[in-house]
Amino acid sequence: MSEFPILVVDDEEEFVSTLVQRLRKRGFAGEGVLSGSAAIARVAASDFAVILLDMRLPDMDGGQVLREIKKIRPGSRVVILTGHASASEGEEGIKNGAFDYLLKPVEFETLLEKLEAARERVP
Amino acid sequence: MRPGRFASRDARVWKETPPRRKKSIRVEFTRSCASAHVRYRFSFFTAFLFYSLDGPASVMLKGNDLSEQPNAGDQNMTFFLDRLTSLFRTKPRLKPTELQAAFRAHYKDFRALLTANNNALELMAEMEQALTAGRSFGMAFVRGNCTALSVNIYKMIHHLTRLADGRYTELDQPFRAITRQLEQVIASRSANTEGAAILSMAEVDAGMVDQVGEKMANLGEVRNRVGLRTPDGFVITATAARHFIEANALQVEINRRLKGLDLDNLEELYTVSAGIQSLISNAPLPAALAEAILAHHQQLDTNPEAELLVALRSSALGEDSSNVSFAGQYRTQLNVSREFVPQAYKEIVAGKYKSQAIVYRQQRGFRHQDVHMCVGCLRMVEATISGVLYSRAPDDPRSPFVIIQAAPGLAASVVDGSASSEQLRVSRTPPHPIVHRASGMEQGRSLTEPQAAELATVGVLLEEHFGAPQDIEWSIDRAGLLYILQSRPLGHSVSEEAQESGKHRATTNDLPGPLLAGGVCASQGVGCGPVFTVRSSLDLLRFPRGAVLVIETPYPDWASLLNRAVAVVSETGQPAAHLATVAREFGIPAIFGMHRALATLENSSLITVDATAGKVYAGRVEPLLALAAPKPNLMAGSPVYKILTQALAHITPLNLTDPASPFFRPDGCQTLHDLTRFCHEKAVVEMFTFGERYGFDDKAAKQLVVENSPAQWWVIDLDDGFTPDFDPESRYIDLNHITSAPMQAIWQGMLAFPWAGPPPVSLGGFGSIIFQSTRNPNLDPAVRSAMAAKNYFLISRNFCNLSVRLGYHFALVEANLGEYLTENYVSFQFKGGAADENRRLLRIRLISKILGEFDFRVEQKVDAMTARIEKKPAPYLLERLTILGYLLIHTRQIDMIMADEGMAASYQQKIMADLHTLMDTPTER
Repeated sequence: MSEFPILVVDDEEEFVSTLVQRLRKRGFAGEGVLSGSAAIARVAASDFAVILLDMRLPDMDGGQVLREIKKIRPGSRVVILTGHASASEGEEGIKNGAFDYLLKPVEFETLLEKLEAARERVP
Repeated sequence: MRPGRFASRDARVWKETPPRRKKSIRVEFTRSCASAHVRYRFSFFTAFLFYSLDGPASVMLKGNDLSEQPNAGDQNMTFFLDRLTSLFRTKPRLKPTELQAAFRAHYKDFRALLTANNNALELMAEMEQALTAGRSFGMAFVRGNCTALSVNIYKMIHHLTRLADGRYTELDQPFRAITRQLEQVIASRSANTEGAAILSMAEVDAGMVDQVGEKMANLGEVRNRVGLRTPDGFVITATAARHFIEANALQVEINRRLKGLDLDNLEELYTVSAGIQSLISNAPLPAALAEAILAHHQQLDTNPEAELLVALRSSALGEDSSNVSFAGQYRTQLNVSREFVPQAYKEIVAGKYKSQAIVYRQQRGFRHQDVHMCVGCLRMVEATISGVLYSRAPDDPRSPFVIIQAAPGLAASVVDGSASSEQLRVSRTPPHPIVHRASGMEQGRSLTEPQAAELATVGVLLEEHFGAPQDIEWSIDRAGLLYILQSRPLGHSVSEEAQESGKHRATTNDLPGPLLAGGVCASQGVGCGPVFTVRSSLDLLRFPRGAVLVIETPYPDWASLLNRAVAVVSETGQPAAHLATVAREFGIPAIFGMHRALATLENSSLITVDATAGKVYAGRVEPLLALAAPKPNLMAGSPVYKILTQALAHITPLNLTDPASPFFRPDGCQTLHDLTRFCHEKAVVEMFTFGERYGFDDKAAKQLVVENSPAQWWVIDLDDGFTPDFDPESRYIDLNHITSAPMQAIWQGMLAFPWAGPPPVSLGGFGSIIFQSTRNPNLDPAVRSAMAAKNYFLISRNFCNLSVRLGYHFALVEANLGEYLTENYVSFQFKGGAADENRRLLRIRLISKILGEFDFRVEQKVDAMTARIEKKPAPYLLERLTILGYLLIHTRQIDMIMADEGMAASYQQKIMADLHTLMDTPTER
């Protein structure tokens, strides 16, 4: 199974740790951070295949984090995963290069399917 | 209209408008009783002050009617005075903004009432079907449905009271009386019986619905009563879910977040839903519960070689999980390993607040705390092949074969439609040969013949056990063992058309080809008799005992025929319709949604109606009529079954069938069904008479720019009927600034054909039509003065109310084209004036006949007529409005037909030809 590192960015610690564990169980190299600044630092240091990004973070606005990430790694796939449904925010995110927009709570199986599909498309 | 019924509101409105005018009107009114010369003033007032939609009253108000019709005499005068009194009392003059606000408020109440009505009827239908359709249900179902029903009927009364400006409060009394009786019935069994937090699948059967939910109760029944293999596992019960929520005191917070939630605001809805689910998913499980779950999980872990993976399946309790729109909305988690079981459990419990579920419950009146999420935790089957099994073909509940869909791997992929699969038809009769196979699967991975035969056996067995065709999920593991994952009644999930209960058994071999097929079963059974088509109240009176009632639309009015009919076939309608409920109550077989029934079924020809299969046969089909009696129901005789039966006695019988009956009044309501019927009927009446009850300020009206018309056409915007660029200060408006589709349709009909027959007239456009008809010497002299009257359109984008006085006729057209079919209607009222009675009757009869041809439901009372069409799509109604527009103008023609009977046939033909041309359809129907 090829290495397919995934970064989970969310301020809910329980959510992050469970999701990361579940992803690892299914063969993904999962990793989690709890803030926007930590996410940007991790992306600068390492190339993730997919970044799952919450829009409500304690230190920064999710949109801002998205723009920073795309600046550092324009080719990265950022999936917005948010509990605060907002069409305008979603549109804004896609405009700024987000790969997908998902509403919480997303079914784990659904998320897996999307990740599997993304992994298959990796050259 | 009773005098003084708006007394309180009058006072308020008069405060806002100069009282001077009211006073002067009163003075005129008093004088009029004694002196004839004052009649002139009435004409003046009616033309100047009032938007006169009062039908008979507005006709009577003209002095000519009284002076030139001495025979009308006292009766007219009394009526006239009554109407006038009510007019002055009840018609406050509203400013444009006030009028718009009043309309919006009424419309909102009307829509809300219709929604509640639909909910109530569906809930009633579900409760009735629960008694007959061989499904298991518990007290939570009975209680939840009764509560939801009461909530919806309360809403109906509330909205009706508002629609009617405070009347109908007396409905509160029968409502309270009936719900009190219902409460007593339900209270005979206590609500939240505490049970175990966890039950092993070995302990579960259909009787435990209240603890484990319908899905798991059925699976337990399959395992423990039928003796088929199901995955090992356990159920985390309703008690456990309640403890979990209570231990964290979540319900108060959840309700707080849901309070005031705007269901139409999707962003808000999803955000609140996500927030609540997160709240639940992040709350800690009570330690004892977590331990118990893991302990039961441990017992499943018998193979040290491989990690135990389980599936967690939701099994909702306390609402109708069989509803098609709702099935599959809750969560299932597959391949869950031990450390994630508690988290997965919480997430499934949280799934109770998925956005669709919130909307569903809120709209249908279920209380969130009455719904519990039970969760089945089952060992994953290492499936090589899985699929779905229907014990009958969904579109043919008597088919002699089962239908199997199979795909490699897990059953979920077949249900999702995500895997390439194969479909098989396998005979229901041993040795169960495969009748047909359509394969999209690779060689060697498809279902073997013995496996297909085993599945067919299981399908037949489960159908017989549950007493209804089943929709079954299954898997076959590496060892070739068949596991049943779920079994539920077929009709609910697969096809709304197959509302089959499995009561009847017959092979289709002996049957002739049906005349008609594909209808929806509204009430099960088989009936045979001669066809009798009912289109109007007149047909209703002639309906013979023992005939098959064939109709276009299942209006509640036809319910009075059900004790005479042997079966019902309707071209439109759903099983939730009033008439369907009544048919089930009477045990009359009924098929709805049977296309082309009217065109195909000839009056008085003998037919056999097989409602269960949704088919109609020519002649008498003995094999169908000889079908066996219904199978005993699983639940029959159980305490819960008895309670539901007792509860339904206060719910479904319909006593108020005829709105014209003197008993059609609030204190005649004996059941919840009566209340819905009464509220619905009165709400429609109130909405239809909106214009009648409100006057308006002069400035609200804009005169329509029409070339060369002696009549004046005025338009009042109720909401969004004018284009945004229209200057509100302007006194005039042209058609280009009108957004109202119904008004445009009427207008199109008015302009469509100039009056072409004798006497000769110039074809100078619309103005000349009116002008010539006004000057026609064959017509009553009353016409001339009246033509100067103003005619008013009250419009919004989707609404139009037009009052017309052409000559001494009074006509009212009202239409609403809403977002939902249930809101749509066209209503037409017509009253002929001062001609002799014979001519008036002939005229009304002819118009009735013409409208009947175009599917209007026509009611005729002496010389007044009402025609209605409801619940049809907008394009269909717009066509009808165009027809009404045509008739409004050509009523003059109809008068001439009446003057010369010899010409009647040819003019009628001409009118029908015009109308068919208007509709762009052939003349022959």
